[in-house]
This record gives sequence, structure tokens and C-alpha cells, in this order.
Amino acid sequence: MPSIAFYIFSLIAVTGAVALVAFRNPVSSAMAMTGSFIGLAALFVGLNAYFVGIIQILVYAGAIMVLFLFIIMLLDLKSEERSKPQPLMLAACLVIPILFLVQLTGVLQSTKDEPHKPLNLVASAKHFERAEGEQETIIHQNLAKEELPDVHLIGLTLFTRYNFPLQVVGVLLLVATIGVVSLSKRGSDRPAKPSTDS
Amino acid sequence: MSPYLLEAYIVLVGLVILMLEAFVPALRKEHLGVFAIGGLVFGLVLLFVAKAPAHPEGNVEMARFYAFDSQAIFYKGLALVCTILVLLLAIDYRAILAKFTENPGSEEGTGEYYALPIFACAGMMWMASAQDLVSIFVALELVTITFYILVAYMRRNVGSLEAGVKYLILGALSTGFLVYGIAWIYGTTGTTDLSLMAERLQALPSATPALFGLALLLLALAFKIGAVPMQLWIPDVYQGAPTPTTAFLSVGSKAAGFIITLRILKPFMDRESVPEIAQHTTFILLVLCGLTILYGNLAAIPQTNFKRLLAYSSIAHAGFILLAVTAWGKGSETTLSTPQAVGFYLATYLIMTIGIFFALVTIRNATGSEEIAAFDGLGKRSPALALAITVLLSALAGLPLTAGFYGKFFAFRLAIDADLWFGVGLAFIGVAAGFYYYLKVIRAMYWRTSDDTSPIAISPIARYAIGTLTILTIILGFWPNPILWLLGA
Repeated sequence: MPSIAFYIFSLIAVTGAVALVAFRNPVSSAMAMTGSFIGLAALFVGLNAYFVGIIQILVYAGAIMVLFLFIIMLLDLKSEERSKPQPLMLAACLVIPILFLVQLTGVLQSTKDEPHKPLNLVASAKHFERAEGEQETIIHQNLAKEELPDVHLIGLTLFTRYNFPLQVVGVLLLVATIGVVSLSKRGSDRPAKPSTDS
Repeated sequence: MSPYLLEAYIVLVGLVILMLEAFVPALRKEHLGVFAIGGLVFGLVLLFVAKAPAHPEGNVEMARFYAFDSQAIFYKGLALVCTILVLLLAIDYRAILAKFTENPGSEEGTGEYYALPIFACAGMMWMASAQDLVSIFVALELVTITFYILVAYMRRNVGSLEAGVKYLILGALSTGFLVYGIAWIYGTTGTTDLSLMAERLQALPSATPALFGLALLLLALAFKIGAVPMQLWIPDVYQGAPTPTTAFLSVGSKAAGFIITLRILKPFMDRESVPEIAQHTTFILLVLCGLTILYGNLAAIPQTNFKRLLAYSSIAHAGFILLAVTAWGKGSETTLSTPQAVGFYLATYLIMTIGIFFALVTIRNATGSEEIAAFDGLGKRSPALALAITVLLSALAGLPLTAGFYGKFFAFRLAIDADLWFGVGLAFIGVAAGFYYYLKVIRAMYWRTSDDTSPIAISPIARYAIGTLTILTIILGFWPNPILWLLGA
């Protein structure tokens, strides 16, 4: 049985998400999304993922939201006109989520609901026992004090075991940057060179 | 040489091309394409020199994410060859591309178009090696994001922009499905490593959550390979995108999608260790494959735009390949296994499709149209080109004595061995419809007349490319062994 906090923050996240779709003014939608992200961040914290929760607020509710608001203001978006719902579209919008929900319920019922176990730092610390001659790191110090060094653990995992995907993501970001430039640059003022081919 | 350096080299080639584009303004843009092709050809040489590391366990970080088996080598080669041909096509297409980019009339805005396919190629090569859901995800996203840009590249053309937006929205949706599916599979099995997946699946108390995750993954994969139910984007995007991008999407992206489909399905299709899961998966795949074959082939019949026709034909071919995947044959001394049949099909599909796209670009350059009507009277205007198109189209339809026949033959044989009579029946309907709509173009070339009777101008690149690919189509039609050797059969 999850704690009452789980239900409260889930409710905040879901309400925010519904409001995001329902609002007609883009700025209100963006604000509703912030609410949804804050609920989500609280859920992460409830799962002992403090770092992910804080990043969720800093990056999504902070940086990305500001970006969205800038774009909305720059493009000067007006409230969306409410169009008449097409019956076929409406039916599809109802049938697909209901099918999905039925399937999800079926899956959840076929699995056992296990009670939430608090994180056992003493047991987890055994994975990080110091080898002979190895330097003592913050991870070791924190675990000895029974504190969760989650930032360091994420950093360690990302830069050692998951180093390869991280590099690929680097190339991905480069490509995205090239895309932004080449899809949005204005023509230069230089006179166009005549095309050399026929 | 360590295989890990292959992709690093390809990314480096892409960076060099970008730097040349930015800092050597005197360089003509199509020469960038020539340099890029040179770099990729050298990459092909490196692929033959590369050897699997003798002690992969010495480099745990890479070994977990990176397989270098014969399958990976084959698909890396396929990605490289496809990118080289697409770059040649881009050089041939540059006049139209320049019309719709920055400073119309000059080729100022076309520089990045030669660099981006190289990054997509690196992504496809990583996909060919990926054996962990995490690396599959990042490599696949690299390819997809590059394609968002390549599709919308002609930004002064409404069709290209519309195609870009459609591809972006459906692509983002399918990424959502992919990540959600990965989350379910990780949640149930506790690993993203596909080599450990088989034993974890065996130990599961209930297979339902894992199957739910797999269903979500299949949705995302269907987007990549262009199968039902994520096929709706294909006609519009193929028609609107620049033609080299369309060729790249229909061959490169599809091939990369199939290699990861094969890798992901492998633990789930193991009939000995997880019979129940394999049975369910086979059923889902059979439904998808049957619908894909029917949709692709039947919807292609009324098309009047040739590029759109090729889009539907691309869906149809995805259906035939899925038939081989559904059968999941282990292979024996006399028959091919499913991965070999899929690899063979994709290799022949590459040759035929890129050949046809070269012909399409030539026709577009000469007539300014991509409608089937633009092919009218081609038999009289340029008999050699018309003959090449006839051969390539009959190969796509699966006429015996062309490369296309063997691909379909191996797929059908696997399906018959696996007793998938439902799929085989639908596939026969599909092949019959295929003959009809491909022959419609051939009829336009020989039986219709056009007011313009001047011969079509063919650029040297297109002449050599179409010639080589057509001859390969015929040679592989009665001697398919070279590809089979590459596949280790």
C-alpha cells in the first residue's frame, strides 16, 4: 500500500497533465505543465531518487519551461480556437486510451503487488566495498555514514558503465545543433553565386 | 584494428566535412559530397580490416553494448554502401535541392546535406552492433533525429516542411512507445542487456508484463521499418522529402530497423526456452505482417505519383521481410535462417530501390515531375533508361531471374517451413497486386506516347549508378551467392 503522499503527488501530476491539454491559452498550458512536473519530481523523491527529482524541477520546470514561455511570447500565440470535435476523431481518442487502460489493468492484475521496501544502505554498501589499495572516494565515505551519495553514484555509472551511450548522445546533440542552424538560418547578404551546373 | 574505432572514424569524416563546409567557402558544395564518399569508401575498407577484439571482457564498458558478429558486419556494410549511394544521389539531385534552400539559385545552403547522412550512417552502424536496449535507444534516436532534418531540408518547399512535421510528430510518439516499452521490460526482467534477457524471461513468474513491454517496443519498431500500425506517415513523408532522403529512409533506415528488430526479438522468439512467449510473439507478428502486406500492396494500386507508389511498395516490402521474421527459422545446411533471409532481402532491396531512385531523380531533373505520367513514352525517348527501369521494377515485383525473386523466395520458404499458411496466402495476394502496380509504370513507358520525344539527359553519375545497379540486379538473379557468402551461408 503506497503512502498517502504518493496519491497526493500523483493527483497533482495528473491534474497538471489534464489541464495542459484542456487549457486554451498556451501560457496557462505551459504553467499547468510546470505543476505536472513538480508532482512528478515529488514522486521521484519518494522513490529515493533525490537527484532525479531535483533535476526534474531545475531542468524541466526551470529551464525548459522558460524556453517554452519565450517561444510562446516570441511567436505571439493566441488562444486556440475551439474547433468542433469530429465524431470519428473523438471515438478514436476514446477507444485507444480505453484499450490501453484495459490492457494495463490486465497486466497489473497478473503481477503480485509487493510492499515498498525502504532502501537498505548497509546492504547496498556491500557493492561498493573498497578493494585493497583503492582510494577512498566520497561514495565510500557517504555509505559509511549511511547517507545516499546519489549524485556521485549517477556520475560514476554514467561515466564508466554507460560511457558509450553517453558518447553517442554527444553525437546526437551535435546533429540536433546542425539541424537547428541549417533549418533556420537566413540567406546571407552575399550576392548569390550563379549555379555552375546546367 | 579495433571495431570500436569504425564509428569514431565515420563521425570524424562527418566533422571534417562540416568544418570544410564552414571554413573553406571557395570549395564547391558538390565536392564536399565527393570527399564524403571518399571517406566512407575508406570506411568500407576499414570494415574489412577490423577484427573482433580478442579479449572483449577486457573492455567491459564497450563489450556490453557492442557486438561485432557477422550480422553486425553485414549491416554495417549495408549502412555504408547505402550512405555512399545516397550521397551520389544527393550530388545528382543538388540542382533541385538548391532551389528550395537558402539563396535559391546558388548551392550555398546544400553543404550540410552532405554531412548529415554520414552521422546517420554512424548511427546505423551503432544500431547494427547494439545489443543492449540502452544503446539501441541512443543509436536509434541519433538516426531518427538526423532524419528529421534530412526530411525537412528543402525548407522553402511546403511539401518537405509538411513531411518534416509529420515525421517529427510520429517519430516523437514512437520514441515515447519505445522508452515506455524499455521501462516495462527493464521493470520485469531487471536488465536491459539482450544477451541476459533469455534466461531472465525463463525465470519470470508471469510473462504478461514482459509481453506488454514487447508490444510497445514493436509499435516503435513498426515505425522504423514502416509496418502496420505505424505506417501512416510513409506516403506523405516519402513524397514530400528530398528524393535522396526518401531513398535513405526506405533502405537505410529500414535495414537498421530490421537489425534491431531481429536482436530484440531473439530472446522472445526462442521456442525451446520460452515456448509460451514465443507463441504469443509469433501471433502478434503474424497479424502485423499480414496487415502490412495487404495495406502496402493494395493501397499502391491506385497511385498516380511514382514516389508515392514507391512509398507503398516500401511498406509492402517491409511486410514480406516481416513474414521471414515471423517464421523465425533456425536454418539448416540447405535452408537459410531468418536473419540470413532478412539480410539477403534487404541487400537486394537496396540495389533495386536505389537504382529506381536514381532513375526517378533523372526523370525529375529532365521533366520536373514525379508523376507516373512523366514516364510516358520513355521507351522511345531513352530506350536504355527505360530498359533499366523495366528490369529494376520487375525485380521489385519479384520476377524470377532477377535479384528480387530470391529475396521473396527465401521469405516464402521460411514461412512455409513454419506452417504460416495464413501469411503465405496473404503474401501471394500481395505479390500478384505488386505485379499489377509495377507493370503500370512499364506500360506507361512503352504503350503511352508523350508530346516531348527528345531523349532524357542523364548525368554521368546516374548513368554509371543505374547501369551498375541494373546489372547487379540481373547477375544476382541467377547467381545470388556473393550476398550469401557475406551472410555466411
